[in-house]
Amino acid sequence: MKWFGALLLIATTTYIGFDMSNRLSERTKQIRQFILSLQMLEAEMEYSQLTLQQIFQTIGKKTSYPINSFYSHLAEQFDFVVIDFLDVWDRELDKLITVSALKKNELEIMKQFGRNLGQHTFIQQQKHITLAIHHLQQELDEANDQRVKYEKMMKSLGILIGLFIVLLLF
Amino acid sequence: MLIDATILFQIAGIGIITALIHTVLKQVGKEDIAQFVSLVGFIIVLVIVIHHLADLFQQIKSVFLLKGL
Repeated sequence: MKWFGALLLIATTTYIGFDMSNRLSERTKQIRQFILSLQMLEAEMEYSQLTLQQIFQTIGKKTSYPINSFYSHLAEQFDFVVIDFLDVWDRELDKLITVSALKKNELEIMKQFGRNLGQHTFIQQQKHITLAIHHLQQELDEANDQRVKYEKMMKSLGILIGLFIVLLLF
Repeated sequence: MLIDATILFQIAGIGIITALIHTVLKQVGKEDIAQFVSLVGFIIVLVIVIHHLADLFQQIKSVFLLKGL
């Protein structure tokens, strides 16, 4: 019984360690997805000139998990009367951050971007998109650094701390 | 003479694991946390050892019939 408990404890902390390191690599992937989605947004605005709802729908189809749900939810919101787009945008972003590995910085960049979405002419809009992409790129670099640095540490620390606690309780 | 060796292995294990955590943390450049972990490991071992030392002194006391003092 004692051994079983010890194994369970080690398994748990190991899992936590792997989950945390996974989160680090997920974050870079998701930021990359976001950058991609902004580029798609720009292209759609330039060439197809669809409404925002249709653009969000197409982006939602082309991206992968947490980001696509963000865009499809946004598109769904447009089925009803949208009084304040900013409100919808912020609400969806807040929802997104609970399910994704993204951090406050990325959220803040996207919120800032939402302030300017649909307020300007195309040229100005394009500048805002480029700016947001630029900011996200910086976050991506930083996230990548962190991933390289801490990914392995999290894994080994998980196992080690598990062993440590087991030894303490033995 | 019967000696319970579990405590020795426990302390040795704690030492090894603390050293490993220290190394891992130092490798990623978190020296301050690494030092802290070492300190914590040391304190934990110290507490265990002191606990057993107290037992030892109790034994000595009882051997020399100093219980009343």
